[in-house]
This record gives sequence, structure tokens and C-alpha cells, in this order.
Amino acid sequence: MGINKFLLAAVLTMVSTPLFSSQSVADNIQSFGTATFAELKAEFADQPFVVSLWSVDCLPCRVELEMLGELKKEDPSFPLLLISTDSIENREEAVYILEEYELETIESWMFADAFIERLRFSIDPAWHGELPRSYFYTADHTFTAHSGILTREKLMEFFPMEATGD
Amino acid sequence: MLRTHGLAELIMRMSLMISKRAAWPLVALLTALSLSTLFMSSHVAAESCQSLRELHGVDVVSIHCGGAPSATLDADGRLWVAFVQNKHVFVSRSDDNGQTYTAPVQVNAVAEDTEYNGENRPKIIVAESGEVLLSWTTKTSPNFTGEIRFTRSIDGGRTFEAPRTMNDDGLMTGHRFDSLFLTDSGKLYLTWIDKRDLDAAAARSETYPGAAIYYTVSDDLGATFTQNFRVSHNSCECCRIAMAPHGEDDIAILWRQIYNEEIRDHAIAVLGTDGEVTGLNRATVDDWVINACPHHGPSMVEASTEGEYHISWFSAGNLHSGIHYGRYNMANGAAEDIIKVDGTPGAGHPYLASFDGTLYIVWKGFNGIASQLQMMQSRDDGASWSQPETLFNTGRASDHPLLVSSEHGVFLSWSSEEFGYIFKELSHGHQ
Repeated sequence: MGINKFLLAAVLTMVSTPLFSSQSVADNIQSFGTATFAELKAEFADQPFVVSLWSVDCLPCRVELEMLGELKKEDPSFPLLLISTDSIENREEAVYILEEYELETIESWMFADAFIERLRFSIDPAWHGELPRSYFYTADHTFTAHSGILTREKLMEFFPMEATGD
Repeated sequence: MLRTHGLAELIMRMSLMISKRAAWPLVALLTALSLSTLFMSSHVAAESCQSLRELHGVDVVSIHCGGAPSATLDADGRLWVAFVQNKHVFVSRSDDNGQTYTAPVQVNAVAEDTEYNGENRPKIIVAESGEVLLSWTTKTSPNFTGEIRFTRSIDGGRTFEAPRTMNDDGLMTGHRFDSLFLTDSGKLYLTWIDKRDLDAAAARSETYPGAAIYYTVSDDLGATFTQNFRVSHNSCECCRIAMAPHGEDDIAILWRQIYNEEIRDHAIAVLGTDGEVTGLNRATVDDWVINACPHHGPSMVEASTEGEYHISWFSAGNLHSGIHYGRYNMANGAAEDIIKVDGTPGAGHPYLASFDGTLYIVWKGFNGIASQLQMMQSRDDGASWSQPETLFNTGRASDHPLLVSSEHGVFLSWSSEEFGYIFKELSHGHQ
């Protein structure tokens, strides 16, 4: 599986997502490959953003998802990159969970390569894989990492709202 | 505290979610998937699943395509491997140390959502008298619920009894991360992570960090089992449990345990056949303050001195970060000769085995591009170690490495996209 295949997959996903709306679940989940994080950072050039990593098999992640669901409802423009470390082949289960927190319609990502060590490394070489895991990027893209449930209080501490420019 | 309150509330809400959505699409999936599988016998060593699929189609059932295989050697030194594919557990045997395998035998006639991942895989043991014993976890909803399943074959692996659910609480809650162990004296232990006490606490609006460890025992090779016994409250929810013998009939187990509500280090205990739990103690002091799922369970084997155990674990704690080894002494309740095996962030999933006076540890490293299957040995019970040796290097996906030991040697059991399923002797040439 070369990088080309990933780029191709990424391009196909972007191009074809609306065409596959015949899928039984309406979601906005994109494939996360080895190049995706770099692309997302480029999209957020000079802008702060928050990354939240979760998986369907992580109980503490549900507490964080609930907080994020409320946050996105209050502020739909909040710059959140929500990434599931589950295989995108299991998207139905992820959507089932995201629906509980009204997060299924926001753009989010799922791991799309079985070689998860490399995907984790592409996000942060220092991450051991524990979940939930979150990152707080400033406008110049220096970042702080956090392991464990991200509460609203911690989010405010690591990512003050004024940093979003609101 | 907001965190614990949030969790208790979440548990209660999840029970509602489960009843509300009882007909979750799983049922339809199971029905659809229970058909049309092609069984095949692979006569070429170390094939990749990709090449098998090119030859036999995408539905090929093979040890090289199956999920999360685990292996055991029987009394005659024959290799048995259990794996999951298409919602079924399969068993294959090899009489030539993994060169060729028999056609996979389907264990569960009715498809079920069998968990298979690094920390959750079917377990297989073959008793000296030939019974093939299997356990696994079946997921019953997307909300961490599951059942501990057990079955066996009393005709040499040709057919299997209908699987039985071993958790005896009848609750739709978490029963997962099963481990199976057979003592030389014939006592069969099945342990798992259980959330019945968490649910009970949530119903009383009380907080309950983590889950609990439960077990059951059979003294007739799985024909019957005892009631379920609790080992400990407040275990971590998502890591495999390590098991080793203790005396003739008892076993020692090692698991990730929650201390002071937010530290996830390890505990050890001795389990007896009648439900008696002794020697419950903290085994590692890593000070890993985390309210998250490490999905990273420990490994343990008996040391040469009675009451001592070689243990290996992962932590990102303040005191220990990375993969560690230590020799836990039950008499003084502490681990000695602790070393950092690999502190690289991508490194994980250590597994121990011993054979003929040599202790082996394997684990997975990651250098940013590829995974390395690493091995070290100690010939003095863990006091000193050889330099790490890279056995395999792969730029594609791979499973956690496992070790299988018998009187014949120590063998690596490992599945990877690139090499397929590998069963390889490590003791040969390392004497």
C-alpha cells in the first residue's frame, strides 16, 4: 500500500462522498490515511484547532464525545478535528455512537489503514496510543497534548476561546 | 468530580441506549455473514492473505487471513491455532510446526460477533487427554457489553460443543477480555473483566472506577464450571489479563488495576479452585495517572524460584514510561530487577516465555516507518539481558506478538499483513 494509493483513496473519497449517500447511514466520515494529518494542518494554516482522538471501544471517550457534541451545538464553527482510530470499515458502529452525541453530521475521520502505528505516528510520534487523546494547536501550530477525558474545563484551559478568534 | 459523575451517568444512559436499540443492525449482519465461506487447507508455508485471496477469492478462510490468531501446542507437540473470520472462530492444526495446516474447522455453528483485536482474541488450550478447549468474547452491543463464551471438542477437534456463556449474572453488561489457563493438575481457569458491579453501583448512583475481575474454574476439562467468583473491584476496563501457575492447583493473575481512582498500574493475585483469592497486591508502581483506555495488557510467567514471577508491562507513568520487565516476588510484594525494555513511544505489547533456563521477551517496536519484532533473552532469571534482536521488520500492519512454550521449546506466534501467520521456534540456535 503505497502513498499513491492513499492519495488516490483520499481524492476518491473527497470526490465521491456525495455519490455514496445511498449508504444506509448518513454521515460525514472521511478516510484518515498517512498523509491526512499533514493535509489537515495545511488547511488550518495560521489557525488554531483542537484534535480529539477516540475509538468505539473506549468508554472514557464517550464522556468526551458528549462534551464535544454540546460544544459543536453551541458553536458549530469550533475548529475540531474528530478522529476515530477504528477502521473505517467499521463506520456503521462509529456512526451509531456519533449519533448519540449528535456528532454524526460534522466532518470527522476514521483510520483507513490497518497499519495503525504509522497513522498514530503521523499525528504525533510521542503518542502511545492511549485514548481519549487530544491536541491543542495554536495559530502557529505549536501544540499541547492531553491523555484522558477532555472536560470543558480542561479544554478552556488548554484552548482558551479567544484563541479561536471568536 | 465531574469525571466520575459523568461516567456513572453515562453507564445508566447506556443501559437505556441498549434497550432502546435492541435490534441493532448486528442481527442482520450476522445472518448475512453466516453464509458462503470457502474452507481451504494451505499447503505452503508463510503465505500472505493477499496471495491466498488472489488464488482463492476474497472469502477464503485461512489462518493467514483470520483475525487475532492464538496458538497452543498439544502433548504430542502438534500446533493448534484459533482465529476469527466472518463472525466465526476457526481452529486449524499443524503437525509440522506451522509448515502446513489442516482445513479450518468452524467452532461456532451460529455466527456471533466474536471480538478479535490485539487484546481480545480466541484462546485455545489442548488438554493432555486431547480435549480442545476454547474461550472468546462475543460483543453484544456497541456499548462495551459482551459475553464470555466457552466451548470444547472431545473428538480431537473434529466437532465442537455448542458454545456456552460463562458469566452467570444474566446481565447485558460488560464481560470481556477473557483469559484461559489449564494447570498441569487439570484445573481449568477462565478469567475476565466484568461490569456487573459497575452497573450495580451506577443503579445506586454511586461512582465505581473501572470494572471488576471475575473467574470460574472447571475440574473436569470444561464439562462443568463453578459459579463466578470476584477477584477484585476497580480493574481497568480494557486490557488482557496475564495468567501463570501457582502451586499445583492455583494460578496467579496479573492485570491493570485502578488505584486512587485515577492511577492505572497493575495488580497481582492468586486464585484458588473454590473462589479463594489470596496475595492480592499492587504489582507495579508506575504512577500512570490517566482516565483513558491503554488497551495494553501485561504478560507473566513463573520464575525458577517458587512465588516469583517474571512480569512485563507497558506504562506511560511518571515513574515508568515504556515497556518494562520486573521479577515480582510474592513473599515481599515487590518487583525486583526492573528494567526499561523499550521506551520508544511506538513500542508495545511485550510477551514473555521461558524454556530450559532461558527467559524470552518479544515485543513490537516502531521506528516511524516500520514495525520491528524485537526479542531479548535472559539466562539468569531476568538479572541481565541480551541485546535486543530484530526478528522481523515490516512496513505493513501486524498483530501483537505471542509466545508459546512447551517441553519442545519457545515459539513465536505472530500474524502480519506482509508475512501471514508465522509460527517460528525461537529457542533453536539460542541455547
